[in-house]
Amino acid sequence: MNDETKKKINARYESELNKGERFWPDSIYKDLIVSLGIFVLLILLATFIGVSPEPKADPSDTSYIPRPEWYFLFIFKFLAIYGQIPILGKIEWIATVAIPGVAVGLLTLLPFIEKRPDRHYVKRILPISIMIIMVVGIVLLTFTSEVPTVAADGSKMLGILQSISGLIIPTLAYIALILMSYVFKSSTRTMIWTTVLASVSMIIVSGTVLALHPKPVVEETEVATTLVDQITAGQDLYSIHCTECHGDDGSVAIIEGVEGLEGEEITPINSKDVLYTITDSAMYEVIAYGRPNAGMTPFGKAYGGELSKSEIDYMTIFMRYMWDDRFEAPVIAPLFPALADGEVPSYDVHIAPIAKRYCISCHRAGKENNNYLMTSYEEILTTGDNAENNIIAGDEKSYLLQVIQEHAIMNPDKPDEELIGVMPPSKALKPNVVDVFVRWIMNGVPQTADEAAALFAVPTPEPAATAAP
Amino acid sequence: MWKKVYEWLDERLGLNDMYTNLLDRPEPTGNWWNTLGSASLFLFVMQGLTGIFLTVYYTPSPDHAYDSVQYIMEGVAFGWLIRGIHHWGATLMVIVVFIHMLRVFFTASFKYPRELTWLIGIGLLLMTLGMGFTGYLLPWNQRAFWATTVGTQIAGSVPFVGEFILKALRGGPDLSALTLQRFFSAHIWMLPAMLAGLIGVHLFLIIKHGESHFPTKED
Ligand code: HEM
Repeated sequence: MNDETKKKINARYESELNKGERFWPDSIYKDLIVSLGIFVLLILLATFIGVSPEPKADPSDTSYIPRPEWYFLFIFKFLAIYGQIPILGKIEWIATVAIPGVAVGLLTLLPFIEKRPDRHYVKRILPISIMIIMVVGIVLLTFTSEVPTVAADGSKMLGILQSISGLIIPTLAYIALILMSYVFKSSTRTMIWTTVLASVSMIIVSGTVLALHPKPVVEETEVATTLVDQITAGQDLYSIHCTECHGDDGSVAIIEGVEGLEGEEITPINSKDVLYTITDSAMYEVIAYGRPNAGMTPFGKAYGGELSKSEIDYMTIFMRYMWDDRFEAPVIAPLFPALADGEVPSYDVHIAPIAKRYCISCHRAGKENNNYLMTSYEEILTTGDNAENNIIAGDEKSYLLQVIQEHAIMNPDKPDEELIGVMPPSKALKPNVVDVFVRWIMNGVPQTADEAAALFAVPTPEPAATAAP
Repeated sequence: MWKKVYEWLDERLGLNDMYTNLLDRPEPTGNWWNTLGSASLFLFVMQGLTGIFLTVYYTPSPDHAYDSVQYIMEGVAFGWLIRGIHHWGATLMVIVVFIHMLRVFFTASFKYPRELTWLIGIGLLLMTLGMGFTGYLLPWNQRAFWATTVGTQIAGSVPFVGEFILKALRGGPDLSALTLQRFFSAHIWMLPAMLAGLIGVHLFLIIKHGESHFPTKED
C-alpha cells in the first residue's frame, strides 16, 4: 500500500469523525445497554436453566458416549463426514489438523491476503461469500452433530445427505465462486445469488437430515444432587447389592442363606470398628475391588462389577449418615406414604419401593430365587416356578403372603421339604410393610395410584352408641 | 473540598488528560454491531470475577474436584448462581467473540491501519476457545472426562509430533490427576494472564486508531 492510499484513507476517516459522535456518552451508552442485557440474560440462564448435573468421571466406563463442548461439535461432525471419503478419508490428520489449520491460517493472515483498501461489501464479494458459506456450514454441522452417518439399520442415506450439505455443496460453491471471480469476472449479482443458492440448498439438505432422523431418546442418568437424594440412592443400591450378605442394617456377623458363603464369619459393617477406621476412599476401594479372598466380589465397573463411581459414592454416603454416629442424618422421607384406614396401596407408590429395598437384591436375574423376579409390575405377578400360586388376588393363601408372615410353604410331594422358605430369609419384614402387601393382594393388586384410589373404601363408622341416661 | 482532592489527584494522575484521551474521543456515527467488542470485554470480566469466587471452594484433584463442585452447587450460599453464570458466560463469550470477529470481517475493519488489532483478535479468539476447552474438564464429571479424552485425541492425530502433544496435554498417556492439574493451571493462570495482556494491547490499538466507520459505497 503506497503512502498516497494511506493518506486518502486517513483523510476519509477524518471526515467521518467530523460528522460523527463522542465516545462518551454517545457510544458508551450503547455498550452499557448491551452489557446490561447480557448480564440479565446470564442471571436468567443460571437461574432457570442452570447447570445440568452429571455423574462423576469414571475412566472405566467405556460405554459412555463422549461428546465435546458444543462449540467443537462441528469439527467432530466434519471429521465423521470426511471419514466417509474413500481412501483420503482414512488419513485422519487432513481433517483434524490440515483443514482447520489452513482455515485458521487464512483467517489470521486475512489483512495481508485481502490487501486492497476497498471496504464496501460490493467490492469484497468473494471473501464475504466464502465466509457466509463457512458460517452456514459450521452452524448446520453443529445442529446435525447428533445424527449418525450410518443409521442403526445400516443405511448410509443420512451419511450421504450430510456429505452433500457439509462437504460437496460448499466445495462446489467455493470452486464456482473463485472461477466466477477470477476467470469469468461475473457480476456481483450472480455471485450473491450463487452464495444464496448454496446456503439455501445446504439448509434444505440438513433440514431433511434432521427431519428424517428421529430425535434420539437421551437416556438421562439419574444424578442425586442433594444429600437426602444421595442417601436414598445409596440405600437403594445397598439394598440391591449388599443386603443379601450384610443384612439391611449391616449388622450381619455370620452369613446365612447365601450359596457358597453359608456360615462365613464377617465383621458387621455397621460397627465402629469398621466405620471409625476405614476412610471414605478406603471404603470406596473395598466396594469397588471387593474382598475376593473373603468371598466379596468386586462391584466397581473398573474391576468387572456393575456400579459406577457415583453409585459407590452414594453407598458410602448412605453408610456414613445412617450408621456412623459421628454424622448427623438429615430428615429422610419414609419409603412409602403411611396408609389410612381402608386405603388400598398401589404398585407404583408402595410395592415398587418396598420391593426395591427388601426383595430385589435376590429377586432379579442371575440370582437363586426359583425364577421369581420382582423388578416390575408384570414380573411380580407372572414370573417364578410357582407363578400361579405366588400372588392370587383376593386370596390370603397366596404364597407371597404366607412366606412374609413367617410361614414357609412345604413341598406337597415331599411334606418335610420346604418349597419356599420364609421371606426375607434373614430378617422378617416390619408389620406395616407386611400390612401393605396384604392390603395390596387382598384388594386386587392395583398398579397405579389412581386405580388404587378407586378401591379406597372408607369404613363406615360404627353408629355411636347413645348412652342412655 | 472535593474540588481540592480532585485537583490534587489530577495533578498526579492526569485525570483530565485521561478524560479527553479515553472518554471524550470523537468517533464515527455508531452502530449497534460495534458493541460486541465491549460485550466480549464485559463477559471476560464477568468470567474473571465468578471464576475467582469458584476457586475459593474448587479443588483440582480427581478425588475432590467433583465433590467440591457439588458443594458449590448445594452447600455454598449462591454458589449455584456463581457457577451458573460462569457456565453460561463461557458459552456466551464464545458466541459473542465469534460474532464480533464476523462483524469486523464484514465491515472490513481489519484493513489499514488496523491489521495488528485483527492479528491480536485472532489470538484472543483462539485463547477464548482454549479457556472453554480447559475449563470444561475441571468439574471432573463424565461429560468433562470423555470430552477431554476425545479432544486431546484430536491433538494426538497431528503427524510426527502428535504423540508428543498428546502427552504434553495429558501429562502422560492417559487422563490423570496431572491432566487436571495442568488444565487447571492453564485455565486460571496461563490463559487468563495472556488474554488480559492481549486485551490490553487490543484496547490500546483501538483507542489509538479509533473505531472504524461503517463502510459506504465510497469505501
Ligand atoms: C476476548 C476477545 C475480544 C475482546 C475483549 C475484544 C474487544 C474489542 C473492543 C472493546 C473493540 C472496540 C469496540 C468494537 O469495535 O466492537 C474491539 C474492536 C476490534 N476487534 Fe476485538 N475483541 C476481542 C476479540 C476479537 C477478535 C476475535 C477479533 C478478530 C479476529 C477482533 C478484532 C477487532 C478489530 C479489528 C477491532 C477494530 C474494529 C473497528 O475499529 O471497527 N477482536 N475489540
